[in-house]
Amino acid sequence: MQTFLAQPIPWPDTAAELRQQVRALVADHFAALGEDADPAMRANSWSHADPEFSRKLGAANLIGMIWPKEYGGHERSPLERYVVLEELLALGAPVGAHWIADRQTAGMLLKYGTEEARQRWIPGMARGEIYSCIGLSEPGAGSDLASVRTTARPKGDGWVIDGQKVWTTGAQFADVMIALVRSEEGSERNAGLSQFVIPMDTPGVTVKPIIDLYGRHDFNEVFFDNVELPASALAGTRGDGWKQATAELSLERSGPERYLSSTALLLETIRKVGPDADAGVQRLVGQLAAEMWTLRQMSATVATRLAQGDDPSLESTMVKDLGNSFEQAMPGLIQAALEIDPAGGDPLARVLGYLLQVSPSFSLRGGTREILKGIIARGLGLR
Amino acid sequence: MSEEQTMLAEMADGLFGELASAPDDAGAWQKLEEVGLADLLVAEDAGGFGGGWDDARVVFRLAGYHGLAEPLVEAALARHIGSRHEYKGYGALAGGAAGTLEEDSFTGDLHSISGPEGASYAVTPYEGGTLIIDLAAADISKGTAISGETRGSARVEGARALQTGDDVLALAAFARAAQIAGALDAALSRSVEYVNERKQFGRPLAKFQAVQQNLATFACEAAAANCAAIGAAQALDRGNASFEIAAAKLRANMAAGTGASIAHQVHGAIGFTEEYPLHKLTRRLWTWRSEMGGDAHWSQLLGARVLARGADNFWPDMTALTD
Repeated sequence: MQTFLAQPIPWPDTAAELRQQVRALVADHFAALGEDADPAMRANSWSHADPEFSRKLGAANLIGMIWPKEYGGHERSPLERYVVLEELLALGAPVGAHWIADRQTAGMLLKYGTEEARQRWIPGMARGEIYSCIGLSEPGAGSDLASVRTTARPKGDGWVIDGQKVWTTGAQFADVMIALVRSEEGSERNAGLSQFVIPMDTPGVTVKPIIDLYGRHDFNEVFFDNVELPASALAGTRGDGWKQATAELSLERSGPERYLSSTALLLETIRKVGPDADAGVQRLVGQLAAEMWTLRQMSATVATRLAQGDDPSLESTMVKDLGNSFEQAMPGLIQAALEIDPAGGDPLARVLGYLLQVSPSFSLRGGTREILKGIIARGLGLR
Repeated sequence: MSEEQTMLAEMADGLFGELASAPDDAGAWQKLEEVGLADLLVAEDAGGFGGGWDDARVVFRLAGYHGLAEPLVEAALARHIGSRHEYKGYGALAGGAAGTLEEDSFTGDLHSISGPEGASYAVTPYEGGTLIIDLAAADISKGTAISGETRGSARVEGARALQTGDDVLALAAFARAAQIAGALDAALSRSVEYVNERKQFGRPLAKFQAVQQNLATFACEAAAANCAAIGAAQALDRGNASFEIAAAKLRANMAAGTGASIAHQVHGAIGFTEEYPLHKLTRRLWTWRSEMGGDAHWSQLLGARVLARGADNFWPDMTALTD
């Protein structure tokens, strides 16, 4: 049995040059912030939206790197894009505004969207000016996604959407949502669902904030009250929404954001303890470095397989489960190894405090640990 | 995998599987010699197979997968180093040596010696480097490791010794990481088969979520060990692999502990018997975790290295490994 097809990773020749470009850009960004920069915000940085930074990245041709040029993309290779993403995350750049558009929405529109929708949304996404959100979870449909109850009713040539989404990251600044809704009346479970492209400024769409335990506003409730959409809002095939949405989920499971969210904490720990740390701390740093190196190897292997056109859905689920467990365990391990003042204002205490509080979400977002392990078990031939 | 590597893998897989099913085959070592596997890492112009480190990973992983009883991995590593310093015949690998080296003469103790019968020299880590020590006059006493495999120890007085520029501890740690990766995959496979067959409460164990979740965790650990081993092999083929080998052995060690625990847990009492072959894998995993540097050794080495470089170099150093 070999569940994870390990293979060489063809890192692009342009990697070093791309890294220098990203490093310079991120250094400029933080230099401009100066003392206003909160060190905690370098952790989990793909949750932190900064439209100004997104526009700078767009201007530097670092968003939409693999999209066709006719839609404002840059036709670079998937591994070149991977290099840029891991750089941005490791450096703690605030990439939250455009993250979802870059990771999945434009790709989804390129595959299933109408030509009109592509022209309308993708060039602005590549410029870092247009942002998107994903409408999946509902009050009665969390891990049990097939319980979606938001409906799309045909009306004239178009559609009317009614219902509610919840835990929608970035809905407060998104221009467009890709929503999974029930388009076939009387259908059940994962049959009868379709994906719709919903401009967030459509009359009847209301966004209400949900504040997390840290006090931040990352996610939202989104209500649809008699939201009228043209026929072209349907993306892909009517009734195939489940298949389309889950295929998209499996593509987003293995990226570097699944294991790098706590990197800022490791860096602050290294800075704080210095080369003369006691043996226990040295060993912990060594262990975390080894795990991170291995996860990078695994994540980039899946990226390589995806670039080859393979479907490594089991491997990508394993990367997410292992990566989330790593980035989630790190705050607790470092807290146990060092004496830290929870009221302290130094960078280490602030990053640790932030990550202790938000890291529970790491094994919830994008599929809970339990769901992922169920998928892996099925891939092993259990059930 | 290249075509050549696929052929090598198929040959090793078939032969190791055959040897595992006939544990008392007195001609086992001869069969391995006939196909040239002990010369896997000997250069072609020295009459060897001229394999690279990723070829070695494939073969070592399969040795771990099948719980190969013969000391092929050790012999291949010893010959790799010995052959480049004019040593002929069989060599053994030792876990370490303590004693004094005066010019080309060593007096002291060797431990955890593993190699084919009649090995005339041992390659051993010594004070951060590598020594090749003649075993001709050595009195080797045989002991056993946790796995039940033979590990010798020897006292030598004034034995001929050669200090080389190799890092045998790292190379052997890489080999153990690859073996761990293979043994984990085999134990996972056996565990999956077992829980699909064994019924309790009227249904197969595989139907229970608690069992499923444990095996999913196991699968991730096995995957991590395999990816770590291939990462180290590629680094070795490129050149300097000191960071990668340390990380790979450490990560494989961690996976070995978790994997062996879960394999036994899902097997229940039967996995704990001498009769059932799970222990051929798990006892080796426990052995290999400690051999050629345990978790503490490699984590401290890595941690000290990372801390000496400082926070600002951490990520650039990580990416420089592959760029």
